[in-house]
Amino acid sequence: MDAKLTVEPRTETGSGPARRMRADGRVPAVVYGMGSESRAITVEWSALRKALTTEAGINALIDLEIDGEVNLAIVKDLQRHAIRRNVLHVDFQLIDRNAPITIEVPIVLTGTAPKVDAFKGMIDQLRHTLTVEALPGNFPKQLEADVSDLEIGTTVKVGDIPLPDGVSSAVDDAEVVAQGSATRSTILLQNEMKKQASGGSKGDGDDDTDDAATDDEDA
Amino acid sequence: MLMPRKVKHRKQHRGRLTGDAKGGTEVSFGDFGIQALEPGWITARQIEAARVAMTRHIKRGGKVWIRLFPDKPITAKPAETRMGSGKGNPEKWVAVVKPGRIMFELSFHDPEIARAAMERAIQKLPIKARFVRREEAF
Repeated sequence: MDAKLTVEPRTETGSGPARRMRADGRVPAVVYGMGSESRAITVEWSALRKALTTEAGINALIDLEIDGEVNLAIVKDLQRHAIRRNVLHVDFQLIDRNAPITIEVPIVLTGTAPKVDAFKGMIDQLRHTLTVEALPGNFPKQLEADVSDLEIGTTVKVGDIPLPDGVSSAVDDAEVVAQGSATRSTILLQNEMKKQASGGSKGDGDDDTDDAATDDEDA
Repeated sequence: MLMPRKVKHRKQHRGRLTGDAKGGTEVSFGDFGIQALEPGWITARQIEAARVAMTRHIKRGGKVWIRLFPDKPITAKPAETRMGSGKGNPEKWVAVVKPGRIMFELSFHDPEIARAAMERAIQKLPIKARFVRREEAF
């Protein structure tokens, strides 16, 4: 089930050797955790990519083999080039299979919010990941937050996200994950509805003048 | 247009534009972004033009984040003026941008319309830039 990754210790550190390693198809990395000293290593890029493109994604459990010794690890941090997006450096953290660990799990919004759409509002996702605690191998790939009942001005909170058995989160349940927000279209729509309700028949359908008037107000 | 409320010094040196952006290289607030691929100065007018192009295309739905601030004053001498007599007068404000920088972010329900809106905004900028999405997987 766990991905296997054979890594080699490295003695050379610094930007020059790191650049040469990347040119040779290897990624400089570091491994730490479980009370051990931090060790500089290198890992084959193709093997790393294979290990992290499984069902488990970035939170995959990895059997890290260093000098014949196999330890369970996760990817704690991954640095990418700002433009090329290739992996520059990886942090591996050694973990105990029987002790819970804390990781970040992505939050995915599910469903549509008809009450928000009706007023041309938008769903504003304020929190994209949730810090959860679980035993290795027990944590979910993603968490789903249902936004079907969302209205403008209401929120979906951390407490509304169903967590699988054996998974807990230290994040406050009242923290907002997503909210139904009014956009400028909502305000225009509401103004139009107010005008219609008051029976005013001022025909201002000119979109350009409307734009000029409202673009000054920042979204 | 964006500009500082007050500054310590009215005029600045031009500076050098070397290397890539050190921070602000990830889409952090919205779902989509415009990433700079070249170094350059983006004026307050260009930022505003890009913002307007984007918000008009999404018909004022969605939400836009501007992750630049034009805090560098640029001076210019009047036309047909003899050289010398000191540095010119502050004429415009620019944001210094290095490759990799996410300049704008957008949150919108339709990815295709979001892309089209951001492509329009890119047309208003003086540097090469590209449309990027929030990275969630490996």
